[in-house]
Amino acid sequence: MHKNPKITDIDVREFAPGQNNPRTLYGLPQEVKYCTCCVISNQRPNSSVEFKHTKESKKATINFDENGVCDACKVAEQKHNTIDWDKREKELAALCDKFRRNDGHYDVLVPGSGGKDSFYAAHVLKYKYGMHPLTCTWAPHIYTEWGWKNHQAWIHAGFDNFLMTPNGRVHRLVTRLAVENLFHPFQPFILGQKQLAPKLAILHNIPFVVYGENEAEYGNPIQDTETAKRSWEYFARDDSEVYLGGESVSSLKANYGLEAVDLEPYLPADPKKLAEKNVQVHYLGYYLKWHPQSCYYYSVEHGGFQAAPERTPGTYSKYNSIDDRIDDFHYFTTRVKFGIGRATYDASQEIRSRDITREEGVALVRRFDHEFPERFADEIFRYLSIPEKEFPVASKMFEQPIMDRDYFMKLANRFRSPHLWKLEDGEWKLRHTVYEEKA
Amino acid sequence: MSNLRLIARLDVKAPNLIKGIHLEGLRVIGDPNEFARKYYRAGADELIYIDIVASLYERNSLLDIVDKATREVFVPMTVGGGVRSIDDAKKLLRVGADKVAVNTAAVRRPELISEMAERFGAQCVVLSIEAKRTKSGGWEAFTDNGREHTGLDAIEWAKRGASLGAGEILVTSVDQEGTRKGFDVELTRKIVEAVPVPVIASGGMGSIAHMTEVATGAKPDAIAIADMLHYNRATLEDIRAGARAAGLAVRDTTVGAKAA
Repeated sequence: MHKNPKITDIDVREFAPGQNNPRTLYGLPQEVKYCTCCVISNQRPNSSVEFKHTKESKKATINFDENGVCDACKVAEQKHNTIDWDKREKELAALCDKFRRNDGHYDVLVPGSGGKDSFYAAHVLKYKYGMHPLTCTWAPHIYTEWGWKNHQAWIHAGFDNFLMTPNGRVHRLVTRLAVENLFHPFQPFILGQKQLAPKLAILHNIPFVVYGENEAEYGNPIQDTETAKRSWEYFARDDSEVYLGGESVSSLKANYGLEAVDLEPYLPADPKKLAEKNVQVHYLGYYLKWHPQSCYYYSVEHGGFQAAPERTPGTYSKYNSIDDRIDDFHYFTTRVKFGIGRATYDASQEIRSRDITREEGVALVRRFDHEFPERFADEIFRYLSIPEKEFPVASKMFEQPIMDRDYFMKLANRFRSPHLWKLEDGEWKLRHTVYEEKA
Repeated sequence: MSNLRLIARLDVKAPNLIKGIHLEGLRVIGDPNEFARKYYRAGADELIYIDIVASLYERNSLLDIVDKATREVFVPMTVGGGVRSIDDAKKLLRVGADKVAVNTAAVRRPELISEMAERFGAQCVVLSIEAKRTKSGGWEAFTDNGREHTGLDAIEWAKRGASLGAGEILVTSVDQEGTRKGFDVELTRKIVEAVPVPVIASGGMGSIAHMTEVATGAKPDAIAIADMLHYNRATLEDIRAGARAAGLAVRDTTVGAKAA
């Protein structure tokens, strides 16, 4: 018996256009609502602890207030109106004064990709606040050409960098499992990337870790922004509760031919050591008014950052989250699971930043959100395949080890929540869209 | 040798004048007509108004802005963005545009160029090309503000456009646009050599030296300037003086400047 049997066709009756009270998956809210300020829907999950993420996990979703405004828009309002940014900047300066070292040792660790946001973060810390950053990067699954150039441009703007690239075979296997179990091809990146900085902080004895923007900007609970220190919850460590790609660590070892060392890059840092070194994690977005578009200008000006040569499928933008070829599929899967595609995320951010209007955002979602990411599809399907030659043990766990489009789309259908999707004249359509909602 | 025309380019996302880098990350600059008046008074030979998101949003929102601008600006105005039909062009000409630029709609249906030229005259029809370097060493034409591939070779497309009746080619380098690193001289030269009609070089001017580079290296009929003017890095007077100092012929704005 294969642990991952071949995906079969689904029962489509639940997806009938006229279905009453269709079933919801992942604990998503039954009623679909769109924020009255941006274009995000109430189906958007908050980030959660990925190494506890299994097939059965329920999602906490973005909070809407009684006026139908999402938390992310409320945070944006605070940014524009109530926060005293001069005071916050002074707090940052004081913090830098506390940690700054002039003895030939790094004094701040800045994790990032070398995209516009981490470029800006490292650059202002070094050149404006006189810090001595070490930067670190968890590699994308597969670099885009422009992503690689931008990563190099970051280093050449004056930074030391550790690039951690996980074992390609292990990473592919975990990614395949994340797709198979969770339809979440980006999860292995998130897992690794979150763990890298705390571990390097211990290794290099740098107790001050500074990320760029705060996740709360995109809808995690507002309380998260009350303090810039990152929740230790993300770093808790108990091997028996750790899942990668929705597969328990014990199963990965017993069934998929992985050894303990193969999993090391994904596992959290030891909280005891973090406590010993008193490692503090801060978000620059708490101290400086974060504006992604300004980071783009800043990184072009100071480091020759390049926008992508074409827009990303599923959206209109060329400057944001452009370094990983699997990213196109990440947003394709969020649309399948939550009805939220890339254009929805991008437009919501730009509306909150006051770069575009809601009306423009709605038009962009209508035009781009549904697009299938053709450009890297074949390469991604090869990446997600587990051929016997390369994976003699793990391959046996899949009835169909080779991923192809047909398999991927059948898998997609398994992850469509009936309350979001209908099958009409043989075509998958969202039951609710921001462009068809009545105001 | 005819004068090098200095054109102020105003990219508009109604109601604002905006500016990007590589046509991306559009930043709000201000009221387009305020800037238009300023450039007119400073002696711009022409103005270009482009609603650069018209195709992206599938709308066309320049009529009002152009209508107001033409009451105060008395140099030739080229207007483009979202022009999909003879009727769209007619409306713009009626409110006072002198030339109409087309890109996306012409890529979709090249005959539109001929139809416009027959109806309004070739001098009215500007083919706007957003060109981006390809790995193989050529240039591909893009639409939707540098976002969508067309698969067309930019040089071939310029030739075809001219033969269909375009009276002028506006060539914007997506690679250089907003970077202040200079024009794509080679692209401009290739297009100037390929077509019998006037060519406007656009994208990348960050210093007066860049103008000299493209003027001598590619010999376009005109250059379009945006970033330098919008951010007050130089005035049209500075640029004109710089052109003269470099031996380039430009219009003498001291004679009959307001009579145009």
